[in-house]
Amino acid sequence: MGKYTLTIIKEDCCGCHACEVACKQEHGLGVGPRLIRVEERSPFFIPLYCHHCAKPPCREACPVEAIYRDENGVVRIKGEECIGCRECVTACPFGAMQFDQDRETAVKCDLCRERTSQGSAPACCLICPTRCIIWGETGALLDRLAAAKGKA
Amino acid sequence: MEAQRKVRTVCRGCHGGCGVIATVQDGRVVKIEGDPQSPISYGTLCSKGLAVLQIAYHPERILHPMKRTSKGWERISWDEALDTVAEAFRRVIREYGPESLFIGQGTGRDYESHFSRFGNLLGTPNILTAGHMCYLSRIGASLITCGRFPVCDYEGGPRCIVLWAVNPLWTNPDEYKGAAFWRAYRQGAKLIVIDPRKNFYTQRADLWLKIRPGTDAALALGFHRVILEEELYDKDFVAHYVHGWEAFVERVRQYPLYKVEQITGIGEDLIREAARLYARTKPAAIHWGVPTEQTINCTDFTRTAIGLMAVTGNLDAPGGNVFHVPPKVRKVSEFSRHDALPPEQRAKRLGGDQYKLAARMALITPRPAWDAMLTGKPYPLKAGLFVGTNPVVTEANAGRIYAALQKLDFLAVADFFLTPTAELAHVFLPAATWLEQNHMAENWKFHGYVLARQKVVEIGECWQDHKIFMELGKRLGQEWWDTVEDALDYLLEPTGLTWEQFKEKGWLKGEMEYFKYKKMGFSTPTRKVELYSTILEDWGRDPLPKYTEIPESPVSRPDLAKDYPYILNAGLRTPVFFHSENRQIPWLREIRPHPIVEIHPETAKKHGIEEGDWVWIESPRGRVRQKAKLNDGIEPQVIVAEHGWWFPEIKDPGHGWDISNINLLTDDSYESMDPVMGATNLRVLLCNISRCTEA
Repeated sequence: MGKYTLTIIKEDCCGCHACEVACKQEHGLGVGPRLIRVEERSPFFIPLYCHHCAKPPCREACPVEAIYRDENGVVRIKGEECIGCRECVTACPFGAMQFDQDRETAVKCDLCRERTSQGSAPACCLICPTRCIIWGETGALLDRLAAAKGKA
Repeated sequence: MEAQRKVRTVCRGCHGGCGVIATVQDGRVVKIEGDPQSPISYGTLCSKGLAVLQIAYHPERILHPMKRTSKGWERISWDEALDTVAEAFRRVIREYGPESLFIGQGTGRDYESHFSRFGNLLGTPNILTAGHMCYLSRIGASLITCGRFPVCDYEGGPRCIVLWAVNPLWTNPDEYKGAAFWRAYRQGAKLIVIDPRKNFYTQRADLWLKIRPGTDAALALGFHRVILEEELYDKDFVAHYVHGWEAFVERVRQYPLYKVEQITGIGEDLIREAARLYARTKPAAIHWGVPTEQTINCTDFTRTAIGLMAVTGNLDAPGGNVFHVPPKVRKVSEFSRHDALPPEQRAKRLGGDQYKLAARMALITPRPAWDAMLTGKPYPLKAGLFVGTNPVVTEANAGRIYAALQKLDFLAVADFFLTPTAELAHVFLPAATWLEQNHMAENWKFHGYVLARQKVVEIGECWQDHKIFMELGKRLGQEWWDTVEDALDYLLEPTGLTWEQFKEKGWLKGEMEYFKYKKMGFSTPTRKVELYSTILEDWGRDPLPKYTEIPESPVSRPDLAKDYPYILNAGLRTPVFFHSENRQIPWLREIRPHPIVEIHPETAKKHGIEEGDWVWIESPRGRVRQKAKLNDGIEPQVIVAEHGWWFPEIKDPGHGWDISNINLLTDDSYESMDPVMGATNLRVLLCNISRCTEA
């Protein structure tokens, strides 16, 4: 498995919030943490999600080095090492780092590691009605996006 | 721990039809996913369907029958529950006759066939549904106009799509799914959007017609006017397949564009441009939503819109609005045994003489029922069964309904939760969610499919509604099958499949054939599209469609507009709730914690209202509060408010039904209803607003 990327074509987000519920189910989250979230600025909808940054501010802010980038480029958090200080939540420019009151740890998008390791797309991407959540091997995905822009 | 297994089934979080893969482990459903092989949803699924596990396993869900006693709700057995309902019904039949019973459903959990059969065999014509102002109303108007219900043919590849008062990616207007719309739109179809609010679709539309709420029929007549003047109509179709063309042309001449502009608030040029785009682009499809049905113009709008499909040659043409061919299963109408309701009982249908189109659809508009409960006239309504409906929140002028239901001798309610309506019942019957249902789903729809919704799990003592009708019916001496599955075998019999075989197959689709009218005409009295309706003429009604001014508008009631200067556009939809459902579902309520009223920033400023403030909304019938959201994409005179709100977290029996329930403001006066369908006005009325300072 090479480097993978998830991106969202914002102008095609219709604000249905299905991605949020799919994500909560996939990660067993209750009320509170929203690893993907759609802000409503009617008639516009702004999806907020983890960009798995090249230099992740969350990782840099973490005092105990619980956040790391894995071999597929996915920025992940070791829940058992998190001390719950929320420095990462403050550091994230996208509002993507979340805090789970129940577990008392930070939680974040892991690009649905269980699913993707079996060749499936992340949960949010699968159910999106406008297919504005795009997932794929990074190089191929960038080519696809460039091609789509060329058409428009 | 048992190994996980996956079950293919079909959602019913709204009017349903989306394909689902449910994962089961140790007798419990643990995951819900979209089914990529679904011909309806292609793997997509909305928040409501995805959240079903929080509905099915909700701690407050009622999992056993109950009766209400002086000490509150008390658990009872199914035997006692059904015997109690049957005995109460028998007593009413003995003392008053079966017409003094009613049965009522809301949008339905796909049990229409069993619901109607139960009512007909009970001998009551008093069938309360949402159908007088939702879906069945458009079907009724379609049947008398062109013989069948014309559905947007997304599979056929429309080149122009008219979204008329609809948000298909959020809510599901029955046949059509957002996923299918999106595919067709992505193929490059032109988009015309008719909506009073700027929204996701208006942003990308080729043309956006920002309409004054409730004036859709006038706009449709304006389209006809352009098509007529510029001779954009299909002359061959009109010559051979339209009844009453000359009379219709005369009617359309009464709607010059300057007049349509005055009524709708849309500029003449824009109307002309939109009509041209629709009429010149082939094929073109109109996808219309429920707001057009919830005013006095209900029947006339549908008839006028069908007129557009017809005269442009888009009726039953690929990519236009088509009559899908159903699979060869038994029809809902046959199963429903309408023939079993004796003519003398049919004649007693409340409001049946007045609202003949509703009567033809075998239902009633609710106002005469509330009156019969409250006044005993023309005869008393004493007892009934509500299944999956919460009318004190979802029907017009809710205050009257709350009072009426308390007059009943006996009420039974089947539902998932103790809703404000269920709290008024004497017996509560625990209903099953779609995960707990075996059914040949979608048979009542007009999209050409039936789908296997198979039981994934059983929870508590809940029964699927079909079984409730069957077992209660048997206690009342009605003819039913031994099991739910036996009845499904009967429905499937003409296909040669049993339920077990159909379940494996997943779905059936009728073989599509376009332009069927060329062989057999249209199923109307004249075998043509009746722009001039011979049926309405027989009923002594205007046989031609027209626009009637909304009875409570700044135009019709300038006197009232002094105190209520704004146009209330009620019934704004959310992506996470289905009418009054889901307010107790944590994942969904987190997304939309409060009822929202949209106000133009200028209007808000005038009243000292800021984003997030609670706002009083007041009409001549009542006052409720919702939270302000500013939207500069509506006219400053228009106020847009959500419907369906109650607060399950409030534990008294009213559950806050009167706090934010917009239907305390809506009108159910006879003069505000559609004259043949009895559609109540849930949409457009006058209101005033003020900042709410109370907690």
